Formats: sequence, structure tokens, C-alpha cells
Amino acid sequence: MKTNPLFVLLRVILIAVLVTFAGFPIYWMATTALGTDTQLFNTGQVPYPQLSNLPDLFSALAEVPILRWMSNTAIIALGNTFLSLMLGSVLGYALSRFKFHGRGAIGFLMFMTQVIPEALLVVPLYAMFISLGLLNSLWGVILANVGFSLPVAAFILKGAIDAIPYEIEESAIIDGCPRLGILSFIVFPLIAPSLAAAAVICFFGGWNEFLFAVTFLMDPDLWPAAVGLASFIGEYETPLSAVMGTALMFSIPAVVFFLLVQRKIVAGLTSGAVKG
Amino acid sequence: MPKIDFKGISKTFGTNTVIRRFNATVEDGEFLVLLGPSGCGKSTLLRMIAGLAEISGGEMLFDGKLANDWTPKQRGVAFVFQSYALYPHMTVRSNIAFPLVMDHFRKWHHIPIVNTIHRWQVMKRPEVKAAVDKMAEQLELTPLLDRRPGSLSGGQRQRVALARSLVRDPSLYLLDEPLSNLDAKLRTQMRSEITTLHQKVKKTFVYVTHDQVEAMTMATRIVVMNGGTIQQIGTPDEIYDEPANTFVAKFVGAPPMNLLPVQLNGKDLTAGEGITWTHSGQKPVGETKAIFGIRPEKLELRPEKAGRLPARVAVIERLGAETIMGCRLGLADAGDSISTEDLVFVRMPGHPGLSHGDACSLDYADEDACWFDKPTGQRIASRHDDTRVAAIA
Repeated sequence: MKTNPLFVLLRVILIAVLVTFAGFPIYWMATTALGTDTQLFNTGQVPYPQLSNLPDLFSALAEVPILRWMSNTAIIALGNTFLSLMLGSVLGYALSRFKFHGRGAIGFLMFMTQVIPEALLVVPLYAMFISLGLLNSLWGVILANVGFSLPVAAFILKGAIDAIPYEIEESAIIDGCPRLGILSFIVFPLIAPSLAAAAVICFFGGWNEFLFAVTFLMDPDLWPAAVGLASFIGEYETPLSAVMGTALMFSIPAVVFFLLVQRKIVAGLTSGAVKG
Repeated sequence: MPKIDFKGISKTFGTNTVIRRFNATVEDGEFLVLLGPSGCGKSTLLRMIAGLAEISGGEMLFDGKLANDWTPKQRGVAFVFQSYALYPHMTVRSNIAFPLVMDHFRKWHHIPIVNTIHRWQVMKRPEVKAAVDKMAEQLELTPLLDRRPGSLSGGQRQRVALARSLVRDPSLYLLDEPLSNLDAKLRTQMRSEITTLHQKVKKTFVYVTHDQVEAMTMATRIVVMNGGTIQQIGTPDEIYDEPANTFVAKFVGAPPMNLLPVQLNGKDLTAGEGITWTHSGQKPVGETKAIFGIRPEKLELRPEKAGRLPARVAVIERLGAETIMGCRLGLADAGDSISTEDLVFVRMPGHPGLSHGDACSLDYADEDACWFDKPTGQRIASRHDDTRVAAIA
């Protein structure tokens, strides 16, 4: 079928508008980071990046422990992703394949975790973490995040496993494959798109972590970048170019991670939605 | 090769019993077909043999050893699924080699990256490569070895599934309606291929199907099942010529055996349509009502009033070399009725030159009649010897 040129033009315009809309905050972040405080607070922001101010930005960033903050963020994000996927895949498999009493109740309770706001759990978790020795520890923040990411990962993976014909697993059993081997040899490769989709959700859940981290982590050396950025806001002064420069650097790994797995995401999120 | 004995095997799902007291023996090297309509429990029985479904009651013996709790691996069976159940993310080569890879499986191979390396290493072993190549050559899969199942046709997928089950040289082959997803032409071809394969490997095959043509052409013995119970066990000829009851008579044969409820009065038989004819052959003794059965090819189509049963042509199906004709007994006009329930089918070579609505008559050789008990539907006797069937002088 021949595509109408007008339709193609309209589509290009629409995509251009959407890209501009989505990309403008990043552009504005870069422009702000390369502006001077005088411009920002007095004369008004210049609407284009002033590359001549790059040395000033670098010297401002040199005073910020950004690598430590970013590595803390990465530990939280990757820990959250790894734990959520590991437990979520086993949980999703069990919910998909085994019939047992309380399966519906488990599903309901998992949904409930998405209804409860994080702030509601800060105080009880704080009390629990004191007794468990998890306060002021990245492990505590990771575990608190896993509590929210795990049900989402489990549900995404359950949907994907539901779509795999059980006969394939039975065939593997006949071929002598043990139950856990079925997961690693057969199920995981087949649900790779859904694993990628769940990984993105868990990764960003951990990468954007703020509330638990700001409450549970007192040591500045353990702060993730989100908490570090918030610490810039002072009573008398907020170095906006440094804040935006740090925020820009904070965003880059997340964008890279997303680009790496983006192809698989759409397939993963829609798996099981239609008959294949 | 194992001999399998079923002793009172039963299977229940909650309160629903799908197999009741199944007693049979599968002999070494035979091609046993489990034949029955959908939902009769034949696939469940096959899954119980494979160890994929638990046995609710009774004993299953492999060479005299109780095998109820054996794992599928311990049973050493190959299973070909209706949907083929190929691994879609693996190439044909990896699919065929998978059972051999699993033979070398160790606990630490559960770790995702380690198992990929392990699989790669096992597949590079000369003996594994040789086994896969040999199997691919045997089943004409060599040019397809590096393709994935998604890019294969139904027949090719079927052959990959067979190759995967053959590569480990199991002693027992279980096939669950493996041809049901293929078109008619390919089905005929694969039927011959599987039969040839059985003759070649000389192993025990248990084959599930609801297609009586498959059963008749492939089996050395057939178990006809209905409602979770065995209706009849026998060779294809026994099943066809000597059906144990009206279910088997109706299920096996296309078109099925003609069954007419009749009243017996001396030599005279009266069918429901008020048609009376003389039957000089064997008849049930001491019965006034019975079911008269005759295969379509045993009926002869004759000109009007030349045969014993007057009839009118209702349906004509020309199949080329032969014709199947559905006739309504009696000469009354059936009007607009499109029901085929009351038709008597005749199978004959060539084309009789009659058309819809023509009057004709039917006849048969007396020794070709079968008799069934009216209330139970059970065969009253073998056609050749039984005390309940006797010739009336």
C-alpha cells in the first residue's frame, strides 16, 4: 500500500513536537548549568547554552562528591533491580504455574503494596530498621525499595510466563531438565523482553530513590545523588548551575540504560496481551 | 524395551473421574494406538505413562516393576506433543541436541551464564554432533539445522519434534495426536513416515489419536476408549470386523457401521420404518428386539424391488474411485428433511448412475450382519461362533 505523503509529513511534525516537548527540560537543564548566577537571579536566563562558562561549571562540579553519590545511586538501583528480578521471576513463575490455596490472596496483597503511599511506611520501616541494624545502610534502602518493585516485577513476569505454553516445559521435563533448569534454560530466554521491561521499572525505582534514602541514611557518604542534589538547597544560597550540572550527569546513566533495553520493553509490556 | 502393564489404573481430578479401572498390557515393540473421542481420557493416560500426570489409583508396571512414582527421566520415554513443543528460542540443532545436553547436566549449570557455556561445550562434543547430524539426515532436516522453529512449516516442525525424541534412543515413544495440526496431504505423508520409523527402530510406540484412519493404518493394536473406560482392545481388523459394542461400531469406519434397531419374528426382521425383510442367517436367540449392524461396503445397491430393503437415495458423495450413498429406508418421500441420522450408507466402487430421490433397493450377504443387544449396545456374539446367536432353520 502506498503511503500518503501528507500523512508522512503530519507524522514527522507530530514526532518533532513530541521530541521537542520531551527534550526541552534536558535542554533547559544544560542551559541553566552553563549560565551564571547573575544571569539566573538578576538579568534573566540566556535561552542557549553558553559554552564559554564550561570551565566555571567544571570547577563548581569538582567540589561536589558526585562520583560517590552516583555510585551509591547505582548500588541502590542495581541492587533493587537484581533482587526484584531474581525474586520476582520465581514468584511470578509460582503464581503462574502452581495452583495453591491463597494464590488469590497473595496477588491481592501484592497489589495493595502499590496502593499504599511510600510516606506511610517510613515510620514503621524506620522502627524496624533500628532493630534490624539496617539504619544508615544502603542495604536497608535497597530492601525498602524491593518491597515496592518486587510486586510489579512479579506481575509483569507472571503475565509473560502465562503466555508460554506449558507443553514446552513438559517437553523439557521429558528431556531430563530439572525444574530450576527449566527456568534458566527455557523460561528466562523466552521472557527476556518482559525481564527487560521489569528491569527498567525496578532500575528507575531505585535510581530515583529519595524518600527512604533521605530518612534512613544519615551519613553523607552514603547519600545517593537525589539526596545529594537536595542538599544543595540552602537557606541563603542555591548554586543553580551546579545543581543543574549535577542533575544532568545524574540523568545520563539512566538514559543510557533505557536506550540499551528500550527495544525489548514494548514487547515485554504487551506480552500475553494478545494471542501469539 | 519395556513391557507396560496397567492394573486398575484410574485418574481423578477432584470429584471428576476421567479414567476408570484401566487394565491393559503394552507389549514390547508394538504400535499401540489409543483411539477415542475428545475428552475420553486417552491423552491423560499417555501423560500418566510419561510421568507428567499423577496416577490416582492402580498400578503401572514397567517390565514388572512398579513405576507409579518414577520421574519422567527414570522412565526413559520420548514424548511428541500435539503442538510439537519445540523450544522457540533455540535453533533446530539446539532443539535436537537438548536431551543430550541434559544428560550432562550438573547442579551448577543452574547459573544462567554457566549453563549457556555448558550447552555450547556439550554441543561441540563429537559424539553429540554426530548424533544430531545423523538424526537430521535421517529425517531430512540437515538444511534446516541452523533455523529456528518459527521459520519452519508444520511438517518440518513435526520432524524436528520426532528427531528430538529419537536422538536419545529411548525405549518407549509416546505420541499425542502429533498429526492433528497438519493438512490432509502432509498428514498422509507423515503417517507413512511414522509407520516406517516404527518398523525401523523396532521400539514400543503408544500413539493417541481421535482419527480412526490414523489408528487403522498405523496400529498393530488399538485400544478404543470412551468416557474413561476401555471399549475394546484388538487388532485393527478385529476392531473393524468384530466391534465389541455399538460405540465402537459407530466410531470406527467412515461412514460408520449402519445400525438398525429391529424386531425379530422368526426369519423376519422389522425395522422402525415398518419395513420387513427376511434374514436367513444367524440371529440372536431368545430376543425379540436387537440392533442389526452392517458395514456400508457390505451393502449392495440394487434396482428397485431387486433387493430385500426398499430405499430412496438421499445423499450422494462421489470420491472418485468410489461413491458413498446415503439412502432412506422405505419408498416414502422424505420431503425437505436434511437429517442424516436415519440414513443407511452404502459404499460402492465407481458411480452407480443414480441421483437424489431415485428409488432403489439394498441387499447384503446374511453372514455379514452383526448383532448388538438393544438395551446395553454390547455385541451379542461374534459373527462366527457364539451360543446366543443361532441360525433359524
